[in-house]
Amino acid sequence: MLAILIDGIVQGLQLSLMAVGITLIFGLGGVLNLAHGQFAVIGGIATALLMGEGLHPLLASALGVLGAGALGLAMDRTVLVPAYRYQGEERLLLGLLITLGLSFVVNGFLDVRYPTVALTLPLPTPSFTVGGITIRTASAVVALIALAAFALLFAFLKATLLGKVVRSIMQNEVGAGLCGINPGRIRTLIVTLSAMMAGLAGVVQGLFSSLGTELGNEFTSFALIVAVIGGVRSINGTLVAGVLLGIINAFASYYVGAYLTLLILLVTAAGTILVRPQGLFAFRT
Amino acid sequence: MSANRSISGRSALIAVTLTLALVPLALGGSAHYLRIATLALIFMAYTVAFNIVFGHTRQLFLCLGALAGASAYFSVVLTMKLALSPWLTMPIGIVVAALLGGAISYVSVRRGLGVIFVGIVTLVFSMIFQNLVLGLRDWTNGETGLETKAIAPAVLAGGLPSYYAILAVLAVAFVAYHLLMRSRAGTAFQAIADDELAAELAGIDVTAYKVLAATVGSALLGAIGAIHAYYGGFISPTVYALGSIDIVVLVTLLLGGMRTLIGPVLGGILFTLIDELVRPLGRLNVMVYGVLIVVLVITFRHGVVAMLSKRLKIRLP
Repeated sequence: MLAILIDGIVQGLQLSLMAVGITLIFGLGGVLNLAHGQFAVIGGIATALLMGEGLHPLLASALGVLGAGALGLAMDRTVLVPAYRYQGEERLLLGLLITLGLSFVVNGFLDVRYPTVALTLPLPTPSFTVGGITIRTASAVVALIALAAFALLFAFLKATLLGKVVRSIMQNEVGAGLCGINPGRIRTLIVTLSAMMAGLAGVVQGLFSSLGTELGNEFTSFALIVAVIGGVRSINGTLVAGVLLGIINAFASYYVGAYLTLLILLVTAAGTILVRPQGLFAFRT
Repeated sequence: MSANRSISGRSALIAVTLTLALVPLALGGSAHYLRIATLALIFMAYTVAFNIVFGHTRQLFLCLGALAGASAYFSVVLTMKLALSPWLTMPIGIVVAALLGGAISYVSVRRGLGVIFVGIVTLVFSMIFQNLVLGLRDWTNGETGLETKAIAPAVLAGGLPSYYAILAVLAVAFVAYHLLMRSRAGTAFQAIADDELAAELAGIDVTAYKVLAATVGSALLGAIGAIHAYYGGFISPTVYALGSIDIVVLVTLLLGGMRTLIGPVLGGILFTLIDELVRPLGRLNVMVYGVLIVVLVITFRHGVVAMLSKRLKIRLP
């Protein structure tokens, strides 16, 4: 029982790590990023390729995450610029279509160029025992990485001036602009940061099992579900929703099988949007 | 500058139908190209339905494949299991699709969901549909799908008869669209597309008209979905996947031009041409496809109808 719970929490943390970028980009940029899972895949595959070149796994991972960030930066500064010219629904729609096209480009590119590359990061000790429970080392490492990433994110948002600026834009873009804030530059920063967090989630997937080029769309859908259940503008909500879904996922896969689990998750997501469009756990940012 | 001329909806309709009717002659009896042309007609009809739902009432339905597939699976499975005539089960499929679409629309309008949330709800709905089809193996045969050749109506078995039968359905869809837009509902759709709040304040029953648009559009999707199933020869979750239907229809509508009568046709022709040009690239085509979506969305968002109108100084319907 406890083993399943721990497994669920760890999976959930990884999901949150993936989904928080969608929340941030949606909250700040007003764009629903449908290429988000592809950032994770890019991060992971870049790491795998660099390791193939003989780099140390840690250095390769860091570079992989930076690579995902670079792609995010490029997306924000090039293809999304036309979308930012508009406001509200028009921007959402354009952003949705552009990122959708981008996800095709990334999927197609990886499939043609690196069809067989996959990332696996084996750890020296596969598992250890604490108080009678055997824990996979990978789970512990993933949990630590995810928690550290979230702690840093919260510290950045709550304790720094730049974080305050970010929150102010999330609350009201026009108001922030009137206070002398340049929303465009902050947006670029946040999109890059979000892409890096997705890249980290991708690298982390390599610790669990393996990350292949075909996983992008699956990551995007799961991240979207988590972001929606958490309330697409709330970061705490995303964290809680990810962990909750991870736990549901772990228990449901154990008891009723993977097929029904996915249905349960999807129905939960649809139900959440219809019953509480602001998200199940919509606390303040 | 010459005065802006305009072409009436009715003459455009007749011209388009006649042109499409002549296409098989130009293809010179090639079965391969005839099949491509017939599939293009099917996608034009899907696009007409999507134009009603999304173009005119701003409901981003990302479950086109799911609605079409729901109708197709209902019709095919009932025909197979109960040994009924497909003519009897197709209306059942259409009603199922219309009810599903109407229900989705009603719930989302009542909950006051914005465009993007309707998109997410319908996206989740199509994922649920895909999983149900995969899971209910006893009825749907899961991933492998079902052969529909043996039970297809005679008219959808041959190449040329199918083309004209489907063209007839497309023509009916166009006439229905044309009449709908000229009616009171069309005016209401216009008002809703311009400004929903203002429409509501002007006394238009926004909920009713949005649900109407979604129901009509979904019924049309259901009809084409079932025809697609029998014409295509087999159905599987992949046939009705998001990537196979929804994305294609979305791009077609954008290419052609939203809220226009002939946009779906011009978009469908353009899309088919592009698709054929990209096909020889083999595995590269997903990437080229993605680049095209990005470029088109950024530079060509108002579609070919708007471009032609501007160039030729003719108001096109």
